Amino acid sequence: MSGPIRRSASVRRLVAIGVTLIVLLSPFLWLLQMSFKSNDLILQFPPPLIFTPTLQNYVSLWQGAFPASFVNSLMSASFSTALALILGVPAAYALSRWAGRGKHALSFAILVTRMAPPIAFTIPFFLFYRWIGLLDTVTGLVLVYTSFNLPLVIWMMQPFFETVPQSLEEAALVDGASSRIVFLEIVLPMVTPGIAATAILCFLYAWNDFFFALILTRINARTAPVAVVNFMNYEGWEWGKIAAGGSLVMAPVLIFSLAVRRYLVSGLTAGAVKG
Amino acid sequence: MSGKGLVDAERRRFNAFALAPSLIVLFMIAGLPAIYLVVTSLTPFQLVNPGSSTDFSSPLRNYRLLPDDPRFVNSLWVQAKLSFCGVLFQVLLGMLLALLLHTQSRVVEFARTFFLIPMVLPPIVVAIIWKLIYTPDISPLYYAAGLLNIAMPSLTSSVDFALTAIIIADTWEWLPFTFLMVLAALQTIPDEFSEAALVDGANRLQIFFYITLPFITPILVISGMFRLIDSVKAFPLVFLLTGGGPGSVTEVTNYYAYLLAFDFNEIGYSSSVTVVMLLLVVSVSLGVVWMGRRREAMA
Repeated sequence: MSGPIRRSASVRRLVAIGVTLIVLLSPFLWLLQMSFKSNDLILQFPPPLIFTPTLQNYVSLWQGAFPASFVNSLMSASFSTALALILGVPAAYALSRWAGRGKHALSFAILVTRMAPPIAFTIPFFLFYRWIGLLDTVTGLVLVYTSFNLPLVIWMMQPFFETVPQSLEEAALVDGASSRIVFLEIVLPMVTPGIAATAILCFLYAWNDFFFALILTRINARTAPVAVVNFMNYEGWEWGKIAAGGSLVMAPVLIFSLAVRRYLVSGLTAGAVKG
Repeated sequence: MSGKGLVDAERRRFNAFALAPSLIVLFMIAGLPAIYLVVTSLTPFQLVNPGSSTDFSSPLRNYRLLPDDPRFVNSLWVQAKLSFCGVLFQVLLGMLLALLLHTQSRVVEFARTFFLIPMVLPPIVVAIIWKLIYTPDISPLYYAAGLLNIAMPSLTSSVDFALTAIIIADTWEWLPFTFLMVLAALQTIPDEFSEAALVDGANRLQIFFYITLPFITPILVISGMFRLIDSVKAFPLVFLLTGGGPGSVTEVTNYYAYLLAFDFNEIGYSSSVTVVMLLLVVSVSLGVVWMGRRREAMA
């Protein structure tokens, strides 16, 4: 019940919250604890809740091809984030200061690229990459990730630019500064936190991708999410490695999303509510 | 020309330079692919048959086949069931969770962050987690059911339960999103409203139905629409948990388009399925933007 806001929660409410939290998080914790179990322990029934943890799964991941795919994930996510920021931040600034007609139509067109289901882009990208030889390359992934990260930057950065008082810019312009200087030296420093939050969200979106990497990569550019799924093979499922690989894939996500949790909703909805 | 005019002209030039690269790149990596998708959908393109990519002799053939393709019709139906139930559960449970966590206690504020975890996890990790839970020999769920002497059917391979299994996993993943949206809306309700109602002798249920609910209804609708748009992207769950099966019980449109293009080699036909899907998504998106504007106009 919403009711009047209380300064402290009642005991009953705290218990309810605790139980809900345990129920909601236990599937996630189950994967995590499994990554520290040997394969014998994983298959033991009933599952032992108290056991001596082992790093065996992580060590065998480290010795295999997994680190290479982890690096591919890091590179494709970082480069596409950088590209989207370099292109998108100035564009968002221009859009936020643009009073002309056509702003809504343009904004909507940019938004649709973000809402389209991935399969809509996969078929054309697949055919095109096959033709020019970009299949199974990190460059290919960077381009395809930019197709959804660039609209995100343009949408997410606009509200940040709108918080910068225009009188400040006008004063500098009247003093003879060029728009470029105003943008680089006055406006940009004021929106640094926004850029950081946007960058992290871009990185997460690219890092979380499974679909594009599944279709556009084979071996050389295979990303970590696809590599984990490859442990589910015909000879049997290597649950230990699946759990350890899954835990490694989610580690950066958990750290980063804590850092930007305030901006999560605006990032996920990419500003659509503002039309 | 006045000084102000010179400044304006310089500013317009700068804006154009700032905007142009993005628009050009977006056109190349999103606009052109979309156009190419439509072009491909007008051909009987198969990868094994190179000439077929430029065969425009019967451009609407794919679209004419669609209504009579039982798998396509089935996939729309499956998608509708998945989207409807998923969105309904997520909005209702998200609202309940938000009501539970809407207090000013430090402990609760700290706990809130942990409720967001399922949503930020990589979708494929979410799929792996639920694969674990739905695999009888290692699942804690099956173990618990065994302790209670409940005979559990194999959820993901049963015609009756497979789609429900996916809806449960999807709800787990996206419940935090509706929760966050509703929580944000709850925080905009002025305290005085419910305080005044309490003084007037209203009970909690009355406060909820007459004060809280009207306040958060727009957000419930908008977050539901967002989830509706995104529910066509539930690919990793279907891919890993059921592979569209058993039969085609969980074969959503997205997954059918994927199979058509990359398993059955029917690129042209798959493109036409995708174009139809895209049109549906765009119309729902237009609805969201329209509602958002109307809401802003009302505020």
